[in-house]
Amino acid sequence: MGILFLFKYFDFFRASIAAFLIWAGLPADSLTLSIALPVGISYYTFKMISYAVDIYTGKRGAEPHAGYYLVYVLFFPQILAGPIERSESFLGQIRGGLHYDSALFAEGLQRLVLGLFKKMLIANRLSSYVDTVFASPDSYPALAALMALVFYSFQLYCDFSGYSDIVIGMGNLLGIRSRKNFNCPYFARNIKDFWARWHISLSSWLKDYVYIPLGGNRVSKERKVLNVMFTFLASGLWHGNTWNFLVWGGIHGVWNNLNRKRECSDCGVLRMVWQTLLTFLGVTATWVFFRAESIGKAFAYYRRMLFGFSLSLADIQNSILPFTSDNTCAAYFLTVCLFLFLLLLYEWGQVYGRGKLRAGEGAYAEGFSLSNFWLALMAASIVLFGMFGESGFLYAQF
Amino acid sequence: MKRVIRTGVIVLLTTLALLWVKNEYARLLPVSAYGMQAAIRKKKIDNLFIGLSMFRQGLSIDVLEEELPGVSYILSYNGNQPVFMAMELQYMLEEGLEVENLYIDLYPYMAAATPWISDTKILLDTDLDFKMETWKLLSADGEATPLDFYEMFVTANNEQLLTWPVNNRLISSQFRNGGTLLVSSGQTAEYLDSLELLGSRDGLNDVQIDGYREIMELADAYGMNLYFLETPKYVRMYEDADYRELYEACVGAVRDLAAQTETEVKWIFAEDLDFDNTDPSCYQDLIHLSTEGRTVYTRRLCEAVAANQD
Repeated sequence: MGILFLFKYFDFFRASIAAFLIWAGLPADSLTLSIALPVGISYYTFKMISYAVDIYTGKRGAEPHAGYYLVYVLFFPQILAGPIERSESFLGQIRGGLHYDSALFAEGLQRLVLGLFKKMLIANRLSSYVDTVFASPDSYPALAALMALVFYSFQLYCDFSGYSDIVIGMGNLLGIRSRKNFNCPYFARNIKDFWARWHISLSSWLKDYVYIPLGGNRVSKERKVLNVMFTFLASGLWHGNTWNFLVWGGIHGVWNNLNRKRECSDCGVLRMVWQTLLTFLGVTATWVFFRAESIGKAFAYYRRMLFGFSLSLADIQNSILPFTSDNTCAAYFLTVCLFLFLLLLYEWGQVYGRGKLRAGEGAYAEGFSLSNFWLALMAASIVLFGMFGESGFLYAQF
Repeated sequence: MKRVIRTGVIVLLTTLALLWVKNEYARLLPVSAYGMQAAIRKKKIDNLFIGLSMFRQGLSIDVLEEELPGVSYILSYNGNQPVFMAMELQYMLEEGLEVENLYIDLYPYMAAATPWISDTKILLDTDLDFKMETWKLLSADGEATPLDFYEMFVTANNEQLLTWPVNNRLISSQFRNGGTLLVSSGQTAEYLDSLELLGSRDGLNDVQIDGYREIMELADAYGMNLYFLETPKYVRMYEDADYRELYEACVGAVRDLAAQTETEVKWIFAEDLDFDNTDPSCYQDLIHLSTEGRTVYTRRLCEAVAANQD
């Protein structure tokens, strides 16, 4: 944790303390470290912490083979941006010896196809539009600001879950089964459900190593509220060393604390759709703090979205133009909407339809597969519409 | 595993077939109101203008149709280069198009450019042979990469094809006979003065100069009256030594070619027309005219054409 603090958080806390001292009229030093952040430090640090804590709490014994331990910490597909694998299952697989498993290999290939579909057809296509509008929201209509936010919601999801699918798929090809990291989060019907589906490896890590050690929900009501807040603030801080990430974490902490009602399992369709839509819109609204460079810019973005909104033809045209800045923008916009629709259709099938059977069992999604239809459609789309070499992975910056 | 491999093979074969159909036959889709296929369908064009975005933004189809006799058509692609203008002209003529008067864009920066396709609409309007010829040109200097090949033959224009029924109608509504119907407003002098100039180049490109030669030879072979013209640029461009040097070199090279090929060529230079290139309201940027500028320039151009023909 000390090393993580030094590399990632020293300058943030020093700058914040200095700003407070200056505000209070006290002297503040100007020391900054500005050290380059080692790739993946947030992810493998958490792996090492979970390993050490599990040994301390007696959940597992120490791994005698240093090489196996290093493979666990530095497993190359996961080093950039997770998932934050737990030592127990991973080391168990390494110790058992890796061997070719054709069923697992086939699963891996299908996971790769799904991951590449999300990354190359959706995330990469949305990135330049989102970057253009977020860089200068006042230059575009309010409709464009709203569209960019919704698209960012999908860009972030497809980029990160696509990456996770690619990583899990690569592990499968090597004979290793990894925990699934996403479970159709935008079909969540409340905020607790969302966090059970989004970045599962991080949220489960925070639950096991922050929330539960603080007492979890086996404490007084007031203490439980504080535990939830602290856990989400820690999540915010993990994502970034600026105040807007803390605000983002705080909003989710408050929302989780306010979410008490248990959703009915036999609700009508309209109610389910309404709950899902509401949850999606709420989560999307909070992504402004995640994407903006500062709290001030986040509020400026909200102002842009909400004031002067219109659906005039000129505003619609100027909202679509940033896709390519030429007369191919409409084709590009319609294409990305089509791929988004296909993804949502596929995930709807996973949550509610026949695709549930192919989604895989348990935390490791054993038995995951794509139907012939989806496999063929996604593979053909990757070949014909995939955008190569456009950008890195968003969550690698954390 | 067998299922996955079988599906992969089927996908590969199907996409290869689709790609062959796309590259050879996409040109036969219902035409838009711009591009080569729309021109070919006219069968006879009295005034054919071939150029880059400066022609699209700089020529008013309304004024051309009003002032010039017969059918006028503007064929423009972004970043169109002389070597590709020659290929486009040859392609259309071989498809049976008759042209009486041919007007070619003389933008010197394209005469200095390495062959490259900026506007993939060219690929949508042509067959596989045209694309293979284009690829030979692009890869001749060793700069083109396998990714460029993939983008050109596999992914180019797929968004437009996928959304053709909607997209084609939308875009076609913005054109008539290749001329843009969109309104573009002019700028302020402050804005135009803040723009960066385009800099110097390492002389003219031989392949592009050969493109001009081929245009002249086609004009001779098909009995077309050939004009070279350049749309007016904002005054800062003419004050720029790099631009002037390149422009003079380009005009000089084309004049020499005309003498060598003994082709009768007519020249309509912007500076010879009564057009105020210091008026910022006539320009969107340093090289593209606004709607106002387009209308004024096209009238002056038509007057010059009429005077040439007398």
